Amino acid sequence: MTDPIIEAHNLTVLYGRKPAIWNVDFKLPEKQVIGIMGPNGSGKSTLLKTIMGIIPPSTGYTKVYNQELDRVRDKISYVPQRQEIDWDFPASVWDIVAMGRFHKRGLFKRLTSEDNDIISDSLQKVNMLGYAKRQISQLSGGQQQRIFLARAIAQQGDLFLMDEPFAGVDIATEEMIIALLKEMKSQGKTLIIVHHDLHTAQSYFDHLVLMNTRLVACGKIADVFTDQVLTDTYGGKLTTISKISQELENKEFPIRHK
Amino acid sequence: MNDLYIIITACLVAINCAIVGSFLVMRKMVMIGDAISHAVLPGIFFAYLLSGSTSSLPILIGAAASGIFATILIEWFTQKARLQSDASIGVSYTLLFAIGIILISKFGENADIDQQCVLYGELEYVWLWLVPIGNHFFIPQQTLILLSLTLIIITGVMIGFKGLFITTFDPNFAISTGVAIGFWHYFLMGGVSLTTVVSFESVGAILVVAFLSGPPAIAYLLTENLKKMIILSCFFGILCAIIGFYTAKLFDVSIAGAISTIIGLVFTVVFIISTQKKSKIDVISY
Repeated sequence: MTDPIIEAHNLTVLYGRKPAIWNVDFKLPEKQVIGIMGPNGSGKSTLLKTIMGIIPPSTGYTKVYNQELDRVRDKISYVPQRQEIDWDFPASVWDIVAMGRFHKRGLFKRLTSEDNDIISDSLQKVNMLGYAKRQISQLSGGQQQRIFLARAIAQQGDLFLMDEPFAGVDIATEEMIIALLKEMKSQGKTLIIVHHDLHTAQSYFDHLVLMNTRLVACGKIADVFTDQVLTDTYGGKLTTISKISQELENKEFPIRHK
Repeated sequence: MNDLYIIITACLVAINCAIVGSFLVMRKMVMIGDAISHAVLPGIFFAYLLSGSTSSLPILIGAAASGIFATILIEWFTQKARLQSDASIGVSYTLLFAIGIILISKFGENADIDQQCVLYGELEYVWLWLVPIGNHFFIPQQTLILLSLTLIIITGVMIGFKGLFITTFDPNFAISTGVAIGFWHYFLMGGVSLTTVVSFESVGAILVVAFLSGPPAIAYLLTENLKKMIILSCFFGILCAIIGFYTAKLFDVSIAGAISTIIGLVFTVVFIISTQKKSKIDVISY
């Protein structure tokens, strides 16, 4: 593998005495769409937060672009889980997307007209420009996700870390996000996505990290999306896995959802 | 003239509390104001012990230091002990308040600290301590201190608005872009501590909490823009202070009590009006 964009080494994260991530090692390649999957509570979100410096690791480290996080923050856009935010907050769509420019401009300076253009463009990309003045409390789940994505785009990073961008969004938004991700990949961006739906994994991702507190597998989707690995990852939840493995057997059927 | 002094003092407290209170309401930590106003007691005692005087400045510094210590303690319980923030507020301030009570009752017989004053303030008597400005103009000392604090807070919020906004709305995103959220937490807490300490001496702990939570809560019901919310809550704070003052005069009751009651009543009225408006919108949109 040439130049890993993200590297985790001996990474352990504890919540109190309970491990959320246990001794994880991996390297992720550049310019790919990478999925992070695993059952609930398997440490996926914690992994993103540790990479972004939000939760400190108990042991081990992560590196981005083979450097300390603080030196490459400009290149990284983080999209938190939508549910973590109070959407009744008194702010407009524009206010939220503008946050994506705060870091570049500094917290004590006014945003310039260049920033405003970037904010407009970002909103345009997610089809939300018409909603710029809308209060965020009036948005649907899919629209909330879109403006989070717009904020990340406004940061103009090369690496995107997204925490469950497909959770609870409508089909139109999911398809729009997927189209956008493909476009971003073709522009040489790297996208790392925490994802839940096994059915869509094969069509969305080039590379996959499967984890359940420990790392189960990490590699090209064709190598790791196997019956054995999925059983190791999800353990007892057999019904889903047997469905998936059946689909895997019938290779002539595309795995894409309708 | 005395009436005017009282009204101006109450309005300045209202403005200070409305500004910092708006951020506290959005961070779901309004009760930290209550905590600070009680937790200042040990600080006041030690300031009195060290300086040997009950003059304003050392007491103020002691109280503010104690208030900031309380916020550090609360943050420490929340972060390290993983306690719910309301539980850590409860544990911290009752501890500090109790220590203060014990210290004062055991060693501070001569200290000029009145429990009544801590709870209800002495707004009625602000005009007793006047300081001259120029030759002909007098202003109560308390009012002058509050006015300087108002200027500090307005400047602080104008300079730090983006930092406070991003760390209040989405702290995890803020960290991901490299914002030092610890700094902004204590930036706000410093403001809250100063506001509480300076205000509670003139209006008492109960009215401080009423001013911190009431006007921002009223404004929150009426607007969906943080800047407008801050301005509106200043407006409602001033409105309630003025109405409350004249109500107190009319019925000859405690000014702080009357203002607190008016804040509660205005909130109720605005709440009823806004829910009716919203329910209409809901019917249309579904």
